[in-house]
Amino acid sequence: MAIQFWRIRDRYYRLMGNRCDDCGAEFFPPVYRCRDCGSRHLADKDMPRTGKIMTHTQLHEPLPGFESEVPLNLAVIELQNGARVLAQIVDTPQEKIETGARVRAVIRRVQVDGDSGQILYGYKFVVG
Amino acid sequence: MKAYVASVGLEKVGDHWNESLLDLAVSASLKALDGRKAAPQQVIVGNMFSSAGARQEHLGALLASSLGLKGTPAYKVESACASGSTAFDVAYSLVKSGAIDSVLVVGVEKMRDVEPEEVSLALAMAESVEYTQFVGASFAALNGLLARHYMERENVSRDDLSALPVLSHANAVTAEHAQFRKAITPEVVARSAMVADPLRLFDCAPVGDGAAAALLVNENAIGRAKSGLVEVLGGAIATTEFSVYERKDMLRFEATEMAFRRALEQAGLPASKVGLIETHDAFSVVAALSLEAMGVSKKGRATMDAKEGRFNLDGDIPINTFGGLKARGHPVGATGVYQIAEAYLQLTDAAGKNKVKDLDYAVTQNVGGVDTSSVVHVFGRAQ
Repeated sequence: MAIQFWRIRDRYYRLMGNRCDDCGAEFFPPVYRCRDCGSRHLADKDMPRTGKIMTHTQLHEPLPGFESEVPLNLAVIELQNGARVLAQIVDTPQEKIETGARVRAVIRRVQVDGDSGQILYGYKFVVG
Repeated sequence: MKAYVASVGLEKVGDHWNESLLDLAVSASLKALDGRKAAPQQVIVGNMFSSAGARQEHLGALLASSLGLKGTPAYKVESACASGSTAFDVAYSLVKSGAIDSVLVVGVEKMRDVEPEEVSLALAMAESVEYTQFVGASFAALNGLLARHYMERENVSRDDLSALPVLSHANAVTAEHAQFRKAITPEVVARSAMVADPLRLFDCAPVGDGAAAALLVNENAIGRAKSGLVEVLGGAIATTEFSVYERKDMLRFEATEMAFRRALEQAGLPASKVGLIETHDAFSVVAALSLEAMGVSKKGRATMDAKEGRFNLDGDIPINTFGGLKARGHPVGATGVYQIAEAYLQLTDAAGKNKVKDLDYAVTQNVGGVDTSSVVHVFGRAQ
């Protein structure tokens, strides 16, 4: 299954989303059609790597493959351009994970593919 | 052409160690078909993840074949947790248009045969594999994120949220087909295990096996008998931005807003006439935002309204009259059909101790994802 994630590695490594040529709206994940103006003219664009936490949770019942990381801190992050990312918050003291906290993107190991053992990397965020 | 629910069949939700997915689907079907000479002209199965839960697909043909309905068109409809009501909506369109005169709709889910992590993964498939599952976010995690946003923005407390599961459990005590027939207090919710902070175990609908069936007919198929019929007055499905975090306002359940408005328009019914709502309380926060989307509560006020008793069986707009997803149970692909069957029981005065008095119109609202899909139906007594 790793190939379905490898295929979009630019999105995981570089936060590659897209931007509407017609109205300038920016999206992550990239969209096929502009959500704001309906245009189909969109170009790839890397998102800003900083933003702030809109809301967060600590997950105690993991999905398969994440058992060793419980409890898992997750947040919805609003990037500086207004695009949103759902991501893990790591390397941050628990009390600093709060709504409004400033965060920046880092690259981390996200999953190990169960069948092949391939390591999948992607974005996570740290506070500060 | 008028469309009616002519009969329903319900299995108790819970641990069915001795029954397979097919056993449950057949049992609910036979209850709905009991005493009827004419076979249904079509069979539609609502199911979300029989591949993960029972390693079985092709459910339409499997069920039709098991019911001895050789030759009958049969297939499965999937739309995550809204699979059951979506199957019903397909059937409703068919009988309402006159294309088909009778359809057996069966919602079924087998969740207890596999490990809890496998259920979590199957449920997470309602969300994006690339941006939600990939980062380790389960379906409960998304709802935890939503719950904190709701509490912080609308000034809702942990205790306020508990009012909704408390209500659902109170109604399930006298519901024979409910999974958990036990009343709880807000303290029980607050003390239960943390699942996705701030959501605790008792904010979340349980895992269970279940099947529910409804026989839909139009005027060509009802014969002379008018008793036991409930008219389907309207039905609508709406979808919105796939993931909740993509939406400009995460607290706005726009799919439910649209589906509710369209279904009532079809029914020609003002919202003020709705006497009961079976709403999708998969998580306490989802029930609150659903009620607010349907205009039953003002923004941020649903939990207060619940606390004040507005949604009780004797309140001004009762909800989840047999326990809702939280206490009746939430066998995901079957849930929408359970809700519809419960509206049927209420409108045919067969709800026993859970009866809502002086009821003319009932609404069901079933959601797939975090209000990514919403399915609303409106029911009334047959005229």
